[in-house]
Amino acid sequence: MTASMLEAKNLTVESRLADGCRLPVLSGISFALETGKVLGLVGESGAGKSMLGRTIAQLLPPGFSVSAGSLSFAGRDLVRMGAQARRQLLGREIAFIPQEPLGALNPVMTIGAQFGEHLSRLGIRAEKRRRDEAQVLLEAVHLPRAVQLLRQYPHELSGGMCQRVLIAMAFASRPKLVIADEPTTALDATIQARIIGLMGEMRDAYGAALVFITHDLRLAAKFCDEVMVLYAGRAVEKGETRDLLSAPLHPYTRCLQLAVPSLSAPDRDLFTLPGEMPGLARLAGLHGCRFARRCPNVGEICRNEEPKLSPVAPKREAACFRTEMTLDIKVPNQGIPAQPKLASPLLLVEALEKRYRSRRGLLARTELAAVDGVSFTVSENEFVGVVGESGSGKSTLAKLIIGLETPSSGRIELGGHDASDRSENARRRRLESAQMVFQDPQSALNPRRRVASIVTQVLEAAAPRLPASARQLRAEELLAEVGLSAELGARYPSQLSGGQKQRVNIARALCATPKLLIADEIVSGLDVSVQAQLIALLRRLRRELSFALLLISHDLAVVRKLCERVLVMWRGKIVEQGVTAEVFARPRHPYTRELIAAVPGE
Amino acid sequence: MRKRPMRKELSFLRSGRVTAGAILVGIVLICALFAPLLAPHDPQEQNLITTLTPPAWSTGGDPTYLLGTDSLGRDVLSRLLYGARVAMTVAVAASLGAMLIGATLAHLAGYFGGKVDWLIGRAVDVWMSFPPVVLSLVLMTGLGAGISSVILAIVLVDWTRFCRVLRAEVLVTRRQDYVAAARLVGFSHWRTLTREILPATMPLLITLFSIEMGIAVIVEAILSFVGMSVGANQSAWGQMIADARQTIYESGWNLVLPMLAIFVTVLGFNLLGDGLRRTLDPRLAQAREL
Repeated sequence: MTASMLEAKNLTVESRLADGCRLPVLSGISFALETGKVLGLVGESGAGKSMLGRTIAQLLPPGFSVSAGSLSFAGRDLVRMGAQARRQLLGREIAFIPQEPLGALNPVMTIGAQFGEHLSRLGIRAEKRRRDEAQVLLEAVHLPRAVQLLRQYPHELSGGMCQRVLIAMAFASRPKLVIADEPTTALDATIQARIIGLMGEMRDAYGAALVFITHDLRLAAKFCDEVMVLYAGRAVEKGETRDLLSAPLHPYTRCLQLAVPSLSAPDRDLFTLPGEMPGLARLAGLHGCRFARRCPNVGEICRNEEPKLSPVAPKREAACFRTEMTLDIKVPNQGIPAQPKLASPLLLVEALEKRYRSRRGLLARTELAAVDGVSFTVSENEFVGVVGESGSGKSTLAKLIIGLETPSSGRIELGGHDASDRSENARRRRLESAQMVFQDPQSALNPRRRVASIVTQVLEAAAPRLPASARQLRAEELLAEVGLSAELGARYPSQLSGGQKQRVNIARALCATPKLLIADEIVSGLDVSVQAQLIALLRRLRRELSFALLLISHDLAVVRKLCERVLVMWRGKIVEQGVTAEVFARPRHPYTRELIAAVPGE
Repeated sequence: MRKRPMRKELSFLRSGRVTAGAILVGIVLICALFAPLLAPHDPQEQNLITTLTPPAWSTGGDPTYLLGTDSLGRDVLSRLLYGARVAMTVAVAASLGAMLIGATLAHLAGYFGGKVDWLIGRAVDVWMSFPPVVLSLVLMTGLGAGISSVILAIVLVDWTRFCRVLRAEVLVTRRQDYVAAARLVGFSHWRTLTREILPATMPLLITLFSIEMGIAVIVEAILSFVGMSVGANQSAWGQMIADARQTIYESGWNLVLPMLAIFVTVLGFNLLGDGLRRTLDPRLAQAREL
């Protein structure tokens, strides 16, 4: 019997705006999910995939409601179900694994207390039985020292451990359906691989159906049986994972696929999807196919008529008029990257060390080396990648070079000057030749400054009496360089999208025309299309402005795409360095091999 | 996506609390500023023939004395208006002083951290270990009576309030990457503090300032009640309450009216402060938008 565990028919979710006007956030979504299967929901941010997950889990934010269609779980109607019955289902038969594991756990309660609370809700009253049950569940997710763990608080655990605790809790009730909303996005690649494997194990052990929400096509390929691609609130393509990803029928899927850098395939340029997904407000006035404005295969019919999701091949559905042209989409040639001048070293790092002292108890003091005897050089106009998992000392290394931290010992030479002392003069000299692009554009852009003022902060520091018009001129120049229109200069950061913020972030660093740019995870956490745009941007800027880049990233494929050389860091040491293609093709150190093996889809 | 009917900076005017508080404070402020024009009589002018006249609307009232007279035959309305001057002077000057000292130290402590933070933190701890009432009485005894002593006493007692709360906010802002980024583009410490951190702590600063003004009004009333504020030749609300105690059975109005004035003023400041806190705090604002 193949009865569907979860079935949606023409599901439509609307959002009510402040002025009473209603806008569809999701429209006409239909799918059926069988027991023991994994359905992947894929798309860029804003596509509606999280909203769909929240609709199924009945966690819609206020102002959103299901306006048409049906959603049934094991034969019961989820939309018209009473609040009481819904509470009975949630956390028991339907479980939810959130994106931010730390945010989902109560910081003032021990893991044991939270686990116990959940289990007592499930009907296990006896304290001792709850503890035993929790221990069994934690061991099932391969967490060592379960007894000790139950007495710890969430902040004492790493992100990966917290996520495992949440998975254990989600499966505690033997749920029939589990919804995982980007459960691994905030985690390292090595841990990501383990979590995905673990969720597969749990699904097999308990026979649950899984809805897996992700923006990472490679992850979906690895884990899901079926994939539904969403774009602007509509399903644009649906089918079995292998078919769908080996021969996409909708141009959006194809473009996303071409935008993802690969670690093993022959080197190719990335497809850069122009523009952005239309926002809610713009959708209302849109005619024809929602993807038409960005589609490379757009035709006359696409602008006038909206394609319906319809069967194209066996078990395949796509919403496109011209599916036969999809596979012809090719990446336009973006030209050869500029070559580094290897003869002249720009940055020289020698035996660099940074130790932190941590106090435990009254007397015991331990020293922790975040960066432990690191030596390397970066030549002019050379792009160098630094890879490693979190805690390997990558970010500390960046802070040491830029001067946000002082080294415990060792030497940093930048453009021929010693850059390791703390004097004001050394600071000025260093900032003339090096700049940093921060990881989190949210935190790196002052929310109270306009974009034009942010990108020209260097001028504000160097020449405070510069006339406003000259500053405005430079701001427009910089915005054009990073591919933003001049009118964005008048906006505040909160009015920009994630990709735009990161461009502003880059523009600010470029204002001082640095010879070395240090970039800390600048493309991680962004949609693949935005990521491809930023990679193309960095390559273009390198040709035009000629600077060197030290790119810190945990995404090996991005490093392979951008950098000639790579340094692999592990526990504060460089365990391997060399030409990128060489290192990734023939890794020597076991840790490098482990990193490469963890990359999904290879 | 979102409609923006009003500029971001002015959006706090939409809050009911802020409007109500601002109106109350505004009325008191106008009374204080224009007291000589508004007052029908000289507040010190005694008329021993018409003592303890009830307000104009009750039986035996006199329309020339709208709110009646006190035991020395002085016009209550005029005394209240001039009393507002004292209350407002103390509120503004004392809060400004406490804010300047507290905010400066808080920003230094939060921004530089380390030894500076330790030193300022311990100073605040030591200061706060004295009970505020004892501290202010000791100070008043040392400084002597007078309005400037009242202001000084409030400043010296209450700067710790600003320092404690603001330091935490500075610490949070300091950890934002944009502060590090400002240093990296070559901003000096001074410029980073004034251009990057101060705008972020400003909402809290304004809110604390508004609440502190309410506290200052009460402290001034207490001190003038015990006769340590203005001299007998000036009128203050606390003093009026103290005077009216003797004639409480003959004329309750003399007691109630200054109390009402204090009540309205403090209510105004607190509403304003609370409203500003709710509208200017980005965390609360976000929760409302969701």
